[in-house]
Amino acid sequence: MNRAMLLTNHRPRAGAAATLLLVASLAMPGLAGAQGSLGALGFGYPVNGMSIRASGTAGAFGDIDPLSPINPAALGGIARTVLSAQTEPEYRRLTVGGVTERTSSQRIPLLAVIFPARRGVAVGVSARGFLDRSYTTTTTGTADVDGASLPTNEQLTMRGAIGDIRGAVGWQIGNWARVGLGGHIFTGENTGVRERTFADTLRFGSTLDSSRVTYIGTAVSIGGEVRLFKGLAAAASYRAGNRFEARIRDTTRAAGNVPARLGGTLRYDGIPGSSFAVGFEQVNWSDMQSMASARTRAHDALNLFGGAEVAGPRLRGVPLLLRAGYARTDLPFSTTASPVREIRLSGGFGFPVARDAAAIDFSLQRATRSLAGSGARESAWLLGVGIQVRP
Amino acid sequence: MRAPLLVLALGATSVAAAACTENLDGGAGCPSLCPEESERFRDTTFEASEIDSSLAGYPTLGLSNNLLLANRPDTLVTRAILRFDVLTTSFLPNGTGTLDSITTVDSVFLKLPLDSTGRRGGNPVTLEAYDVDTTASDTVPAVLRSLFRPDRRIGTLTLTPSSTGDTIRVPLSRTFMQARIAAKSRVRVGLRLTGSSGQLRLRAFTLGFGAPTLQFDPASDTTYRPITLTTQTTLSGAENEVNLAYSLYALTDIGSPPPGPNTLVVGGYPAYRTYMRFNVPRRISDSSTIVRADLLLTQQRSRFGNVRDSVAVFPLVPTATADVSDLRRILDLTAEGTLLGVDTTRFVPGDSGVRSLNVLGLARSWRLQAPTVPRGLALRIALEGAQPAELRFFSRTAAPALRPKLRITYLPKSEFVLP
Repeated sequence: MNRAMLLTNHRPRAGAAATLLLVASLAMPGLAGAQGSLGALGFGYPVNGMSIRASGTAGAFGDIDPLSPINPAALGGIARTVLSAQTEPEYRRLTVGGVTERTSSQRIPLLAVIFPARRGVAVGVSARGFLDRSYTTTTTGTADVDGASLPTNEQLTMRGAIGDIRGAVGWQIGNWARVGLGGHIFTGENTGVRERTFADTLRFGSTLDSSRVTYIGTAVSIGGEVRLFKGLAAAASYRAGNRFEARIRDTTRAAGNVPARLGGTLRYDGIPGSSFAVGFEQVNWSDMQSMASARTRAHDALNLFGGAEVAGPRLRGVPLLLRAGYARTDLPFSTTASPVREIRLSGGFGFPVARDAAAIDFSLQRATRSLAGSGARESAWLLGVGIQVRP
Repeated sequence: MRAPLLVLALGATSVAAAACTENLDGGAGCPSLCPEESERFRDTTFEASEIDSSLAGYPTLGLSNNLLLANRPDTLVTRAILRFDVLTTSFLPNGTGTLDSITTVDSVFLKLPLDSTGRRGGNPVTLEAYDVDTTASDTVPAVLRSLFRPDRRIGTLTLTPSSTGDTIRVPLSRTFMQARIAAKSRVRVGLRLTGSSGQLRLRAFTLGFGAPTLQFDPASDTTYRPITLTTQTTLSGAENEVNLAYSLYALTDIGSPPPGPNTLVVGGYPAYRTYMRFNVPRRISDSSTIVRADLLLTQQRSRFGNVRDSVAVFPLVPTATADVSDLRRILDLTAEGTLLGVDTTRFVPGDSGVRSLNVLGLARSWRLQAPTVPRGLALRIALEGAQPAELRFFSRTAAPALRPKLRITYLPKSEFVLP
């Protein structure tokens, strides 16, 4: 009899509730409807690619969290090897023109490994999601053929993403500062398949066209963290983007730059068992404008975060860490002169297992998005589950 | 503490697992939230034919399932030649167990299966059978026609074509048959219709054998089972196909007029097939998706045969490479258009004006064809060589407005993946 069964036997109510949750959640995708998306405009949704801990604080801990590949300085001082993996499904609901569509998508936003070295130096390698562009749209329309307007059906399937592969090193200088340096490769692909069919299938054949683009770009990031005085620290990071190319069949079709990013965070941990952080980031998404057509508008984003992590009830003598956060962000791409505005509220918790040899974190974010003048509103639940192993 | 934690952990994990099944279908946000622009369809109509020609002599002798026997002096007059070169000269009398020579015959008939849909004529006609065996050049039509004379007539049958069944039996001369058997010779029968206007469509071949048979009793006692002979002949040094072709074939006294200048013909008697080779820009055939393709032909009014009855035209798709330049050989190496989804089209021979053939399936197959195979199309009429009907179209040498054209709607290949 395995451990799960033992637990179920000892806690029948808990087991039943867990089973109900499992069944309900397995049925959920089948109940979901369809999608058009505010989040996936342009090159896609900016997956935050942070750890579940940082997601639980709506990204406020991104610049100070060693598992989040944002600020390389956060790696400094890590004394144990850490392997981290996580998943973050999203359930979206779009309302436009009185019509509501639902979707669900699955993401693995971050895989990371951190190796400690000597004298406060640690090295980290990670792969995180950067822009996720996966959706399918089915529309009816017309095609002009010989001056006549003929009814058509069109299905566009877009799949793919751009990822950020980072290698970084961080160094803790005494107890008062950390610095770090990282190198990034941004790579990925999008594949589009468009099928168009005519209502008159005897005279007109359908079309099935596909198109694939690959992306490659590089960037360098630097960061630092300074303890200002007892309980208060400040962290900042900057990513300088290099050339970013979109290639179709080995030919560079468009080029821009990996968006530059500047972020800063103030952290206060003067209360034992608690950490509070506020931060901002400025991302120059317009560096990618030249890679897109005139139909897509890239908007520079000034994102604001605030979050907290506090020690909660104890589990086997170790406190459960409870997290909450708020973020107000602008999504990078839209179809108008206004950006898509996103508000996120988050919560989460984490607890150690196997005597601190591993940790499991959960986060739940509620995002609402809107595009001024479009009448479209989108809301989403993002559920994060992550595990860190410290062998 | 453990129980709520377990519930929450399992719940979150299971929701995450369930999300592995993605559902990304939508579209309500389009077009405002779908910035990817659809490429517009393009229309083009152009004179695509670089070679077109009509070839006579179809169907090839021996390859037609039917044979038309007609006496329509204003349209079509034909004769049929049936060869029975191997005669049975002995039989097994009942109960004796020994083989006897045939010395007398009775009930000699030519049995002719008919395609009842091809009969025409409501007045009585006379089907005449002649002995057309000769030592002269027996494949020359003029020689054979000269043998249709009263002293060689070996049988007649008066019938009304419109009221015949699916088989007719033409009585032949006993004396004639008896003499041929005795001489260990052969029987070659010529058939024609006389009297009123009418036509019969004979079934010529079934499963590779001649359908008409020669039947007779090998004795005057009718208890013997009749002997049945099928058509067959042997030409000196000829291949089997040639022998099969000459075992049963037709002569044409009055047929359809030749195509003439600037004209393509499909059908007629003897029948024509039309071949067209197209020059389609590669940017359309190979780099675009063709969604509509029509072959536009300007039809001329035909005055031959059944001008008001609609007839079907079958498309044929050439498969020969450009190394083959002989048009007849190219037509021999065609595939049925239905294999590529190119359907038959019906026309009325007496009509005129622009006609459209849907060749979408053919056009979409071009990008899959080897580049050495020219893009072309051939047309043949239904019941080729077994119905007096033809379709006439203007060829590529006619006035520009009348020439064959391709009307194509296509979607150029686009790299729509960039937003």
